[in-house]
Amino acid sequence: MSLSIEHVSFGYDSRDETTRSFSLRDVSVTIQRGSLTGLLGPNGCGKTTLLKLMTGVLRPRQGTITLDGRAISAIPRRELAKQVAVVPQETHPAFDYSVLEMVLMGRHPHLGAFQLEGPEDLAIARESLSATGTAHLADRAYMTLSGGEKQRVVIASALAQAPDVLLLDEPTASLDLAYQLEVASLLDRLNHDRGVTMVLATHDLNLAASLCDSLVLIRAGRVLAQGPTRDVLTGAMIQQLYDVEADVQFHEPSGHLTVVPIRRAP
Amino acid sequence: MAACKKRLILLAVLLAVTGGLKASGYHAVHDARVAAGHHAVLEAPVAGDLQVSGGAGLQISGNDRAPVTRIISLVPALTEMLFAIGAGPQVIAVSSYDDFPPEVKALPRVGALLDPDVERILTLRPGLVLTYGSQSGLEVQLARAGIRTFSYRHGGVAGALQTLRDLGAATGHAADGDRKAREIQAQLDAVQARVRAYPRPRTLLVFGRQPQSLQQMYVSGGAGFLHDILQIAGGANVFADVRQESVQPSHETVLARAPDVIVEVRTRQLGAADVSRERGVWAALASIPAVRNGRIHFLDGDYLVIPGPRVGLAAEAVARALHPEAFK
Amino acid sequence: MTSSGSTIARVSAGPRPIRSRLAVTLLAYGALALVTCLLAPLVGSTSISLSRAFDRSIPFADNVDAQIFFVARMPRVLAGAVVGAALASAGVVLQALLRNPLATPFTLGVSAGAALGAILAISFGAAVTLGPLSPVPLASLAGAFAAAAIVYALATRPGRAMSTSVLLLAGVTLNSFFSALILFVQYLADFAETYRTVRWLMGDLDVGGFGPILGALPLMVAAFLIFALLPSSLNLLSVGADIAATRGVDVARTQRLAFLSSALATSAAVSLAGPIGFVGIVVPHLVRLMAGVDHRIVLPASAFFGAAFLVACDLVARTILAPVEIPVGIVTAMLGGPFFLWLLVRKG
Repeated sequence: MSLSIEHVSFGYDSRDETTRSFSLRDVSVTIQRGSLTGLLGPNGCGKTTLLKLMTGVLRPRQGTITLDGRAISAIPRRELAKQVAVVPQETHPAFDYSVLEMVLMGRHPHLGAFQLEGPEDLAIARESLSATGTAHLADRAYMTLSGGEKQRVVIASALAQAPDVLLLDEPTASLDLAYQLEVASLLDRLNHDRGVTMVLATHDLNLAASLCDSLVLIRAGRVLAQGPTRDVLTGAMIQQLYDVEADVQFHEPSGHLTVVPIRRAP
Repeated sequence: MAACKKRLILLAVLLAVTGGLKASGYHAVHDARVAAGHHAVLEAPVAGDLQVSGGAGLQISGNDRAPVTRIISLVPALTEMLFAIGAGPQVIAVSSYDDFPPEVKALPRVGALLDPDVERILTLRPGLVLTYGSQSGLEVQLARAGIRTFSYRHGGVAGALQTLRDLGAATGHAADGDRKAREIQAQLDAVQARVRAYPRPRTLLVFGRQPQSLQQMYVSGGAGFLHDILQIAGGANVFADVRQESVQPSHETVLARAPDVIVEVRTRQLGAADVSRERGVWAALASIPAVRNGRIHFLDGDYLVIPGPRVGLAAEAVARALHPEAFK
Repeated sequence: MTSSGSTIARVSAGPRPIRSRLAVTLLAYGALALVTCLLAPLVGSTSISLSRAFDRSIPFADNVDAQIFFVARMPRVLAGAVVGAALASAGVVLQALLRNPLATPFTLGVSAGAALGAILAISFGAAVTLGPLSPVPLASLAGAFAAAAIVYALATRPGRAMSTSVLLLAGVTLNSFFSALILFVQYLADFAETYRTVRWLMGDLDVGGFGPILGALPLMVAAFLIFALLPSSLNLLSVGADIAATRGVDVARTQRLAFLSSALATSAAVSLAGPIGFVGIVVPHLVRLMAGVDHRIVLPASAFFGAAFLVACDLVARTILAPVEIPVGIVTAMLGGPFFLWLLVRKG
């Protein structure tokens, strides 16, 4: 599945015409099938908005978003849900669902109106839990899990949707180093083993550097640059994007780029 | 969750809980409904007067008091009594709910139980103010201003007659008060005599319910003014065993008590169509003898519910409903 | 790491597949409701002879026992069941809609509107009827609809999801405003009417016939038909509105249906029996403690349990101090208040 965003503009509604602003302006991005793309940019640059547009939750004011050539606005909600799944930054269920119940909710788009989950759905759910290393947590209450466990469970529930595209919003933002690595290697594995196309919005440059094969740099609602990571992730680009001086180097032992911000004495 | 959202929800919960508490238990007690027997207190801070209080009887020492001019009455029952004993011309203002006799319509109003207009009362410079027993705050204020008050407590028929006498004494119409009380007693005795020969039907005396429904019915219990009237009129209250002025029976209880006669008293008059509709509402409880025999009577007029000088009329009206054959 | 004791109860409801859990739960709660409703008319403040009540040879109009059973008690039990089911279900749905387990059917102002309507009718002696609806229930429905319409208009944006914070604020505001209006009307009215309004606010299931229930029935049926559509969407919605949308839930439609159905159920319940508190919050909580949090189970189970609960409370209300009756709202409050304290102590 390739996801194509063409000349998309979006702004949140505002009553006052003069203060109506665009969060995204004339954004065109192509996500190749099977790629692991990172959306990078400072806070408020519009990367979360772009993700939401990709899910179909928001509709662009101008431009189109197509999935394998089909406009997503034309795809019925349920069908779209079978193709695109989202892992939000934080998930706070209002009730005390178990891990298994959370993951089974991912089967919703595959069920009929009054249909209950059957053995196949249960099998898929358990399989998703195994893939994310959380099978042993199936009967635990979601809210009692640690941050990393929670995030992996949410990824499992997105996997249960059996999507072709997985969109993640700051998947490692609230996790400590160990969990960050855990989730990162999980995503890597899923992308390589299952061929799930992934787009993740992050401002963790090193995560992007280590995990993503392509990057889209967004600044103030416009695409600054996009392309393979090694081409796009340069010191000059980072300076333009974040107004921060950084050094980008290839790190032999790990096999990918690293970014080191440089703090000058005032 | 954002802290502000949490606070909002806490606020919502508090409001919902207090709303729920209000709905499920808060209960404003109106003194007019408290049957505490009769108790008249005359407060007299002016020098030379006696502090008088009494239960069943009022002691007055010294001569018959000179007529008090400038009386304000907050209690409709007492207003009627004033006019009945000849103190009408002395009345300078009445309550918002006063309606009888017709002379009061022209008089200024000074509020009622919940909202007495103290400023207005003081401006009118009364010599005596007739208040409800529960208006203790008002009584204190008036006492401080040097104004005498006469405190009213709701009671049965006997209590009403005693109040009439006490009021006569307090306003310089003691003889008129006694005479009027005797007159009314004679009326009541006459009614009682008329119906004495007849057996007492088991009667349900209803004084309030939801329109076109038997829900939230208020009936007279075995105490209080309405019960006394029923007794005098030759009826036997089906709820005589419940020592309360007011009872709210369920459908089941009414069915179980099975009255022979139902008397509904209302202050507002019902049109003919409404009467037949309200009569029809009872049809559901067909096993009640009163319903089976069509003995449901609708009486209207505020003299039926005001424990004042027109109790004789009230007793007669009820007696006519219960024992029509006695009035042929 | 499980600090919450509720996990233990809930997990025990966990691993079995939902199909069998749903079947077992519905059977159990349904049986509870049925048994309660069958037994309740047998008990009352008056002792009656059941054999006489069911004796066909005595003409109905002469048979006091039959009248007590069929005219006084049965409609009362049926009203209790219907109102209990409606309030409990409305509570479940609103708790999911507002993503807050403390929401009640009265949170969004519908009951305050119903109360204002009823109190205006009582205080000013309204006489308009519509079919089997007598003046006070009719006015109550009108008030409820007005309140619901106001809240809906404030919180809905065309084509977009409802803002739950606006919903909550609108509901709280309306509650306060209408409560103030109610107090004002009570102040202006005659003593007798004021006391009757206070009495109405305490709730009363003694409908004395099937007519009033028939009046409320169309709304109840409509509400329950909509309730049937909601549970799986409510599950997803209660995890998060955006994530629900990405799983194929039509969020705006689900929210509107949730609001509409709970408003219909609450309007019908309050216009029939007055605002009976705590049913809409105690029952869903108890059911969640016993049967887990999946709305596909919680919603129908709460309906059944709500019916049984209210019928039982009314039974207590009408027998415990016989022949004096306690308003049923007081019994539910006396049970509900301590229950909540206990819940809070447990969680804390």
